Amino acid sequence: MNSKSETDEASRGSEASSSNNQPTPSNPKDHSVPVLCADTSTGKSKDVMKRAAAKQLIERYFYQLLDGCGNPNCDNRFCASSGEARNLTPNEAAAEAIKLFYTEARLCDTLPNKVPRTEAVINSVCATTPCATGTTRNIVTKDGDRIDYPSCSTSRFMDKFKPDSSQQEDCKNVRHNNGAPLTEERIYELCDECLETKKPQVLTRALGEAFTQPAILARCFQRKLREGDNGNGGEKIDKKSNAMCSSSDPDKDVDSVAGPGLDVASCRRAFQYLANIVYYANMLAGVMESNTMREEPVVIASQLDPLGDALDHLYPLSSMKNLKHTPYEDPLAIELDINVLDARKPFLPFEEFYNEPLSDTIEMDIDLANCKTEIDEIGNKFSFLKYPFILTAATKSLGLYYENRIRMYSERRVSLLHAVVGAAPPMPFLRLKVRRSHIIDDALVELEMIAMERALDLKKQLVVEFEGEQGIDEGGVSKEFFQLVVEQIFNPDYGMFTQRQDEVTVWFNPTSFETEAQFTLIGIVLGLAIYNNIILAVNFPMVVYRKLMGKKGSFEDLADWNSTLYNGLKDMLEYTENDLEETYYQTFRICYTDVFGNNLFHDLKENGDDVFVTQENKREFVDLYADFLLNKSVETQFKAFRRGFVMVTDESQLGTLFRPEEVETLVCGSKNFDFNELEKSTEYDGGYTSESQTIKDFWSIVHSLSLEDKRKLLQFTTGSDRVPVGGLSHLKLVIARNGPDCARLPTAHTCFNVLLLPEYENKEKLEDRLMKAISYSKGFGII
Amino acid sequence: MAATRRLQKELNDIRHSGLKSFRDIQVDESNILTWQGLIVPDNPPYNKGAFRIEINFPAEYPFKPPKISFKTKIYHPNIDEKGQVCLPIISAENWKPATKTDQVIQALVALVNDPEPEHPLRAELAEEFLKDRKKFTKNAEEFTKKHSEKRPTD
Repeated sequence: MNSKSETDEASRGSEASSSNNQPTPSNPKDHSVPVLCADTSTGKSKDVMKRAAAKQLIERYFYQLLDGCGNPNCDNRFCASSGEARNLTPNEAAAEAIKLFYTEARLCDTLPNKVPRTEAVINSVCATTPCATGTTRNIVTKDGDRIDYPSCSTSRFMDKFKPDSSQQEDCKNVRHNNGAPLTEERIYELCDECLETKKPQVLTRALGEAFTQPAILARCFQRKLREGDNGNGGEKIDKKSNAMCSSSDPDKDVDSVAGPGLDVASCRRAFQYLANIVYYANMLAGVMESNTMREEPVVIASQLDPLGDALDHLYPLSSMKNLKHTPYEDPLAIELDINVLDARKPFLPFEEFYNEPLSDTIEMDIDLANCKTEIDEIGNKFSFLKYPFILTAATKSLGLYYENRIRMYSERRVSLLHAVVGAAPPMPFLRLKVRRSHIIDDALVELEMIAMERALDLKKQLVVEFEGEQGIDEGGVSKEFFQLVVEQIFNPDYGMFTQRQDEVTVWFNPTSFETEAQFTLIGIVLGLAIYNNIILAVNFPMVVYRKLMGKKGSFEDLADWNSTLYNGLKDMLEYTENDLEETYYQTFRICYTDVFGNNLFHDLKENGDDVFVTQENKREFVDLYADFLLNKSVETQFKAFRRGFVMVTDESQLGTLFRPEEVETLVCGSKNFDFNELEKSTEYDGGYTSESQTIKDFWSIVHSLSLEDKRKLLQFTTGSDRVPVGGLSHLKLVIARNGPDCARLPTAHTCFNVLLLPEYENKEKLEDRLMKAISYSKGFGII
Repeated sequence: MAATRRLQKELNDIRHSGLKSFRDIQVDESNILTWQGLIVPDNPPYNKGAFRIEINFPAEYPFKPPKISFKTKIYHPNIDEKGQVCLPIISAENWKPATKTDQVIQALVALVNDPEPEHPLRAELAEEFLKDRKKFTKNAEEFTKKHSEKRPTD
C-alpha cells in the first residue's frame, strides 16, 4: 500500500516537472522522490504508474470539490473550502473531477479529506477502541459479549464493519484530522472525542488518513518517515507498529534518517497507547473465559546459596540475581483484569498482530538489553519485548535464546568465582553422564540428585556425556540425549504417559506406578529442552501447554484433547428439547477407562448417580466433567510435572512473552507435513497400484498443494489434521479405487484412513474433484 | 450398579421391544459395555442366515459413539474381511449422543439389507455388485450358507 502511494506520488512528481502549466505543489515529498522513480518507471510499469497517478489526481479533485481542503482562506474556485464552488452531488463531482484533471486545474496544497482506501480495515481495527479506552470494565465486557463471533476470519470481520449507509453519513459529517499531522496530543484528543461521542470514526479516519497519505505521514510527529521500508504491510496494525519501530528507535534503525525535531517519546507513547488498546480490545471482543480457572502458582523453595548471595554483594553484576525481577505487566492489562490465557478465541486471530517486517529486522540482543535495563532506570529504554504480541514466535524465541545464554554465562561466571574463593567445587556446566543402555535410569537418577541438592545447577549449560564414548558435547550429543530420553519416556509401555485410543496426542497416566519425582523429572527435561533450544518429538495436546502457563483445563480444551467426546458433549449443550433428561438419561456419575481397560466410575458430585443431567444443570455437568478429565484425575502427576518445568524456566520470560500455542512450537517445532513419507507408506486397494496413472497424478497434485490444503486433505481422509507420533508414515493411508471415471467426488472412511478415489479420466478432473472434496468436506458430511 | 444408567436402560428397552431383526442379545453382566447379538436380515441374499455382531460401547458413552463389528463372516461391499463396518450414524463426525442403540441397529440392518456400493469398504465386491448383480447374489448366497449362523425359528 505504502509503496504504491509512493509511486503515485513519484509519477505525479515527474509529471509535474514535465508539464509546467500546473502549479507547483508545495508537497515536500515531491522533491525527494523522483530519484527513486527514475529507475523504476520504465516500459509497462510506467503506464501502470501513470494510470495510478491519474486516478489519484482525480480522486483528489473529487474530494476537493466535495469536502474542500480545510483551509478557511482558500481561494481556489475548484475547492469547496473557498465557498466559490457550488454544492455538487457526488456524481456531479466525479464528472467535474475528471474534467478538472484534463484541464490540469489548480489543486490545493493541503490534501483534502480523501476517503482512505483501507477504510474497512481501519474502521474494524479501531471500532472497538472507544469502549476499551474507557477503562470502566462493565462497558468493555458488555461489548465483548455483544460481539461474539465463534469463528472470526478477517474477511467476516471486515464485512461486519463495512461502513453501512448511516456510518457513511457519519463519516461525511465528522470533521477528522483535516490533513493535519498527528501528534501525541492530537491522538489523545481524538481518543477523548471518540469516548465522548461513542463513535470510533474520528480516530479511525484520522489514523487512516495519516497512514494512507505519505505527505501527511511524513509530517506526523515532525518526522519524515521513509515510505517503502515497510514492505507491503497492508494491515493497519503493521503500519502503526512500523511507525513505532522506525520512529522510536532512531539510533538502532540504521536506514532511517533522524528527522529534525522528532519527538520520539511522544510518538511512542501515543502508539503504545493505541496498539495496546487494540490488542486487548481484540481479546475482549472475542470469546473470553473467566479468569478464575488458574492453576495454583508453583513456588519453588528458595534455593539456598549463601556463598552466591555473598558474592552478589561483592560483585553486583556477576549474578543473575540482577536479572531477576517481577515480570513486567502492562498497566492496562491490570486495569482491565485480562490475561492472554483467558482469551479463548480472540476477535481477530493473534497472528494478525504479528509484524513480520519488524520481527525480521529487529535486533533481539539489543532489544533484550533494553528490556532488562528499563527495570533499573525508570522507563527510558524502549523495548519491543514489552509488546510481545507484535513479534513472531521465531523472533521471540531468539530473545529467549539470548536471555538463556546470558543466564548460562553468568551461572558459569559465578561458578568460577566460587572456585576462586575456593568454596564449592567448580561446576560451570550441568554435566550428565549416562550409559546408553540405561539412559532413562541414569538420567533420571542424576537429574533427581541435582534437583534435590542444587536445583540452581539446572540453569547451567547442559553437557551430556555417554559413557565410553568420545563425543564432546557441543550441542549434538545433548540433542541425541533428549531424543533418546523422549522416545523412551513417552513410549506407552513405559507407563508414565498413555496413548489414548483414537487420539494422536499423549496424556498423563493417572494410574502410573511411577512416583511424583519421575514426573517432576519429565518436567525438568521439557524445561531443559526449551532452555537449551532443543526440539522434542512430543505430542501433547494443547491443554498441557495452557496448564503449564498457569491456566486450568476447561471444556473448550476437550476439543483438542478428545474431539469426539467434545463433540458429544457439545451436542448435548446444544440440545434444546425438553426431554433431555429422558433422552440422555445421564447422571452425574461418569465412567472412564484406565490404561488396563478397566471401566471405573466417578461421581462428579456427591451421590452423582442420583442426580440427573437436565437442561438447567447440563453446563455444570460439562464443566465438572472436563475439570475431572483435565485437572482432577491427573492432578498429582501434572503438579509434579509442572514443578519440574518451572524449576528450569521460572526466571525466564517464557510466561510473559509466549502464548501457549507459541510454547508448543518452541517445544516441538512447527508441525511438518512430509507427504513424501506418506506416499511411501500408502497402500492401494481395489485395483490401484502405485503405478496407476490416477495414483501418480494424485501424488503430483498433493505435493503441489499448499500447507493449508495438505492439512485439509489430512482432515478429510483421517478426520484429524495432526501428524501422528512418528510422522505421516505411521498414518497407514489406503487409497482405494472407487469405480471407473464418473462425476462423483472422492470420499473417505475416516475410521480406517481410506480414501475412495474413482478412476477419473484425467488429471485436471482429479484435481478439480479432489479440491472440491477437501474444501467442502465439512458441509457435505462424511459417509 | 455396574454401569451408567443410560446403557442399562437402553438394554432393557431393547430387550423388551422385541426387535425382529436383532435377537439373542447377550451381555456379560460384569461388562455391560460389550453386547453381542444376532442380525437377522430380510432381503436376499442375506435372508438365508443370521449374523452375529458385537457392539462395543466406550466408557464415555453416550458422548462417544459405540463401535460395531461382525463376528460372522459376510459377503458384503460395506463390511470388510475383518468384520469392520463403517456406519455413518456412529462415525465420530456424525455421532449424536441422543441417538439410541436401537436406531443404530436399525441403520445397520438397513445397510446389510441394501448395500451401498458408492461407499464400499471392499471395492471389488462393490464393483461386482454394480456390474454383475447376478453373480454377486450367487456368491453372497453361497457365502451366507457356508458361514452364517442359523436363523432363530420363532
